[in-house]
Formats: sequence, C-alpha cells, structure tokens
Amino acid sequence: MLSLYRFLLRLYPRAYRHEFGVEMLAVFREAQTETWKKGVLARGVFCAREVAGLLRGALGEHLQAIAGSDLLTASRSRINFTPTWSGSPTKRRFTMRSEFRFPKATAPLMALILALIVVAIEKAKAIQASLPHTNPHVGPIQPAQFTLFSTVLVVVAITCAAGLLGWAILFALRRSGLHRLSEFNPSERVGPVGGGPHRP
Amino acid sequence: MRSLPVTEPVLLILLSLAEQPRHGYSILKDVQEMSDGQVSLSTGTLYGALRRLLQDGWIERFEENRASRGRQAYRLTPAGRRNLQLEVTRLTHLTRLAGLRLARVNPDLVGVNREGEA
Repeated sequence: MLSLYRFLLRLYPRAYRHEFGVEMLAVFREAQTETWKKGVLARGVFCAREVAGLLRGALGEHLQAIAGSDLLTASRSRINFTPTWSGSPTKRRFTMRSEFRFPKATAPLMALILALIVVAIEKAKAIQASLPHTNPHVGPIQPAQFTLFSTVLVVVAITCAAGLLGWAILFALRRSGLHRLSEFNPSERVGPVGGGPHRP
Repeated sequence: MRSLPVTEPVLLILLSLAEQPRHGYSILKDVQEMSDGQVSLSTGTLYGALRRLLQDGWIERFEENRASRGRQAYRLTPAGRRNLQLEVTRLTHLTRLAGLRLARVNPDLVGVNREGEA
C-alpha cells in the first residue's frame, strides 16, 4: 500500500510534492499503522479513502496550477462576504479577470484539423459515388452479446482512455507555460535587462 | 482570503487547530474524535485543505523544538481565528433561525430547542 501511495503522490504537481510529499507520507504511515490493527474491513475502507483522496487531490491541484493559483485566490478574495445579522444585505463583489491564454498555435492547428476532416469527408463521398451499387443485401445488425467480463473490460478501457485524454490535455496546457503566469511578478524585475551597466 | 462559509472538513480542521497547534496526524485523529467517527479525512483531503488555508493566511506553520521532518505543526493565525469566530457566529445564528422556523410549524419542538439551548 505504501508503494501505491508513493506512486499516487507522483500524480501531484512537483511543487506540491516538494512542499507536502514527505509530510503526507509520514502521516499516511502513522494512520496505516493504526488502521492495520483494526481488521480487514477497516483496512479496505482506509485504502479506498486514501486512493480516492489522492486522486481527487491531485486533479484539484493540477487544475489549480493550470488555472493559476492567483486567479482562483484572487476571485475568492474579492468576494467580500460580511456576515451581518441586522437585516442589511450582504455585500458581494465579483471581479472576473481573464488570465487564461491558449497557445498561439492553437487556432491554426484547429483550422488545419477542420480542413483535413472536411477533405476526408468529401473524399469519402466521392469514393462512395464512384462505387457500383451491387452490394448484396445485408440483414439487420444483431446487437452484440455482452458478457460481464467484456462489459467490465469495455468500461475499464473507456475509463483509461478518458483518463489518458484528460492527462494529455492537462500536460499540454502545462507545457504552454500557463501556470508560470501566476508566479510572475513584474515588480521583481529590477535592474537593466541583459546584464548591461546600471545607470543611476 | 477564503470566503465564508467554509466546508465541513475545513471547519473541523480549523476547530482542531483552535485549541493548540497540531501536526497532520493529530489533526486527522482530532477531526475523527470531534465528529464521533462520522468524518474521516484522507491525507489527500487534509493536505489539500491545509495548502489552501496556508495560502489564504488562515493558518501558519509552527516550529516545534523536537519536530522531525514529516511532523510539521500548524496553528491558526489571528486572521484565521477571527474568521473561524465569524463562521461559528454565522452557524449559531443559522441554527437558532432553523429552530425558530421549525417551532412555528411544529410547536412541540420549542421545548426541544429550549432544552438544547440550556
């Protein structure tokens, strides 16, 4: 279980792992030692809870890293919620900022994909029109007979594919350098750019 | 700063830290104890909440003399304590309001509410 925990910890962003990884592992060890004395059922519940918690946490941290922690915390901090019990309305102010930027190559790439799809459709139509209609009659399509095993296999395959796709999207967005925007502070840029002599 | 109201796990973590600084495992145990075993936090949930509370300035790291790596303690900041107090006030008000509304529908509940307040 400890090795599984270590493996799942790798799903977290590097900065998060660096800050909390050792601590989380130590707390997990302590909790595991105690739970292991309680029996099989308690162990099962503990493992399921930890795995689910790690997966949810890793996804949340990645989403936060992609969207930019500054954006999320800024939007939260701007909700000025003052609990007042005298009947006056609570004041709420939302300020929305768009810090999300797609990479510049996105639009041409999407246009290229769209053009390829259109060309492929037209080509298929042309091939269909050129073929003689001498195909024998095909009977009604019978529904596939799914057994329990094949159903589980299909569900697992779809889940894995969806997970991989999601992960690829997250990875692509991280590669765009978007998460670095939240750490960018223009005020820290002091001194001449390029290491030239500093003019008073 | 985090907006109010807070979620139940976060509220329990804050209540756990209200009394004294605690490290991760101690928070897990205390939350379980406070909720009579109804809330069991996973380490992923706990550290996700701690990370956000640290970022929002509600809690801070507390240096212990004999702390080993992996046993980092946390404590409430003054701002965190103030916000926790606000949240508790909000919940108290909500509970009182709920009692009053229910008592209007079913007057038998008035006695129950008074017993609860006593």
